Amino acid sequence: MDRREFIKHSTFFSIGGLLIPSALLSSCRKETLFEDINFGGNVIIIGAGAAGLYAGYILKSKGIDFKIIEASNNIGGRMGKLAGFADYTIDTGAQWLHGKNNILFDLIKSKNVKTTLDESELSYWFNNQIVTSLPKDPFIFEEENLPDVSFKDYADQKGFGNEYDNIVEAIAGDQGASASLLSAYWNSKDEENWVSGDEDYKFQKSYFEVIEEHIAQPILNKIVLNTPVQSIDYSSDKIIVRDVNNVSHLADKVIITIPISILKLNEISFNPSLPPEKTEAFAKFGMGPGMKVFLKFSSKFYADALYGGSICGAYVNDTLGKLTSDNVLLAFVMGDQAAYLHSLGSDTAITNALLQELDLIYSGQATTSFIASRVFDYTSKPFIKGAYGFSTINMGNAREIAALPVDKKLYFAGEAMNTNGHHQTVHGAVESGYNAVIKFLNDSKK
Amino acid sequence: MSLKRLYGLSLLILSISAPAQELKLDLSYKYIYSNQWDKIIQTYNFSRPFLTKMQPLLMSGLNTSLSYIFKNEKHFKHGINLSYSYFRSSAENENFNNSLNLHFINLGYLLHYENPDKWKGVYSELIVSATSSGLFRNLNGEPFEYDETKSKAFGIGGDIHLKCGYYLKLKNNSYLSPFLSIGYTPYLYSPNTEAVINQTKGLISKNWTGILTTQIGLTFHIEKQTNDLPNKGIR
Repeated sequence: MDRREFIKHSTFFSIGGLLIPSALLSSCRKETLFEDINFGGNVIIIGAGAAGLYAGYILKSKGIDFKIIEASNNIGGRMGKLAGFADYTIDTGAQWLHGKNNILFDLIKSKNVKTTLDESELSYWFNNQIVTSLPKDPFIFEEENLPDVSFKDYADQKGFGNEYDNIVEAIAGDQGASASLLSAYWNSKDEENWVSGDEDYKFQKSYFEVIEEHIAQPILNKIVLNTPVQSIDYSSDKIIVRDVNNVSHLADKVIITIPISILKLNEISFNPSLPPEKTEAFAKFGMGPGMKVFLKFSSKFYADALYGGSICGAYVNDTLGKLTSDNVLLAFVMGDQAAYLHSLGSDTAITNALLQELDLIYSGQATTSFIASRVFDYTSKPFIKGAYGFSTINMGNAREIAALPVDKKLYFAGEAMNTNGHHQTVHGAVESGYNAVIKFLNDSKK
Repeated sequence: MSLKRLYGLSLLILSISAPAQELKLDLSYKYIYSNQWDKIIQTYNFSRPFLTKMQPLLMSGLNTSLSYIFKNEKHFKHGINLSYSYFRSSAENENFNNSLNLHFINLGYLLHYENPDKWKGVYSELIVSATSSGLFRNLNGEPFEYDETKSKAFGIGGDIHLKCGYYLKLKNNSYLSPFLSIGYTPYLYSPNTEAVINQTKGLISKNWTGILTTQIGLTFHIEKQTNDLPNKGIR
């Protein structure tokens, strides 16, 4: 072979040898999952919270038949809105987007939704005075190799005296937990996969409305409200979901997005029973009481964010990022403090207890400028019964086990089932929702 | 140190390497395949139906490399190789122009083989190198930042490449050679990749990946003028 010939051949083989396989490989490499999926079955999603709505939103985008069955009379789960109380729409449930490196930030950015970075300076009610710094930094729960003891016990071990109790309670309250129940070790393990960022964002309109408009709206006709599910029979090919009206709904796959509190209480019966390791895993979760109380005042006498009340761990200015001239203070009450307020039995008693504490902190200004309040007690909501799931002592891999599908028929989603560090958040619930869809489509591959 | 600076510094170090017998500069098209990274981008696209234009897979890029051959045996030569590759994936949606920029720098040992008696003008090379990668996300033309830091994932691993080419003489001691190359990175530890692309960690992928590559390109050679150099069989 002479040189000219060799060049001709080598050029031909080079281009053919590389580009043809590359082109073939490229054509095999799809840009999305299940591009050629042919799932002809139907799906029932139980629960119309963020996880259930997003699972439905994904299924609709893939052209898969589904129905969402919701026990209560509204969508959103632990999200909701209150109009008319102030001159802006209040988020009665989740209201912060925690971090911006997450799927919901992508959504709001693409939809041009207005947000504000919450840069509230944190103050503390400490030794009967308001301070902006503490003698010891109480944010000690993100270190590595923490012991598997409660936040409270760990703070004690680190030499934080009783004067820090309410501050530690407020920090645990951020996780929806009592400081005496939240595991320092397992909570820090959960945090290892947190990649969303530490900045909190608030929405100019409500968070609920954003989810409602961009995720729920396209699938509203697929949602059945006021339909609590009583039992799920997955003993045969078709799964039978029976509601309290004794109506049976048939499905090939079921995505269960109800709160972990409801699963722990076995309020839905399963046939056959769920595997024991599953129910044991549910039992290991904590889900404590939670309450949000909105207090409207004629003047803003309070700090933007204050930790350390004995009745309420965290008081937060609710109007940040809103177009409003009203003064609304949010009492964010979790764990033992929420249990105490819940035990008072009435919204008036709860409001009075909070005003009494605010009067103590702000020298009587609360009562004199008080206009109105609204209490949202998630503990008393029959289909929620708490704030959000948290990791208790000896939690182990309960979250991973709880999130596992059963028999390639039942799939679990919701904030507590997020196994990638984003539990207790709306974006974490959304991730668990799309992940449940991915799991069942993978299982449905022939 | 920025990638450009590192590359510049490496060039400078190499340019003063007196013992060099041959300098080679490559420019090539590079095709890359990582199953893990595909899965992450596919999940990103699957989970975001609100973005009408999908994020393309990281697939095609450009590579440039510089090699110095130090020793001159009959058929085998040894040298070092420094290479840089760049890949980009961009999807322009309304209000949301998301792009991923992936960089690789490899530094490795090169074994060059040619046997003009058997294969006139043909050579092959085996390159074993350490590889480092950097993945960055841009949103609407700006580096995507959260908590006041750029969204980024760095990686480190090992790579092996096999390259075949053919010399075309240009002038005295300078050659141009078209080449083909295949490469394999069995292990690239890059634990933050999923966090940059899909904004999750531990949901889709492992914290490392294997990568397959192919390349087609041209090499420009300059040879030191000495009498003891074997010709390439094409003089």
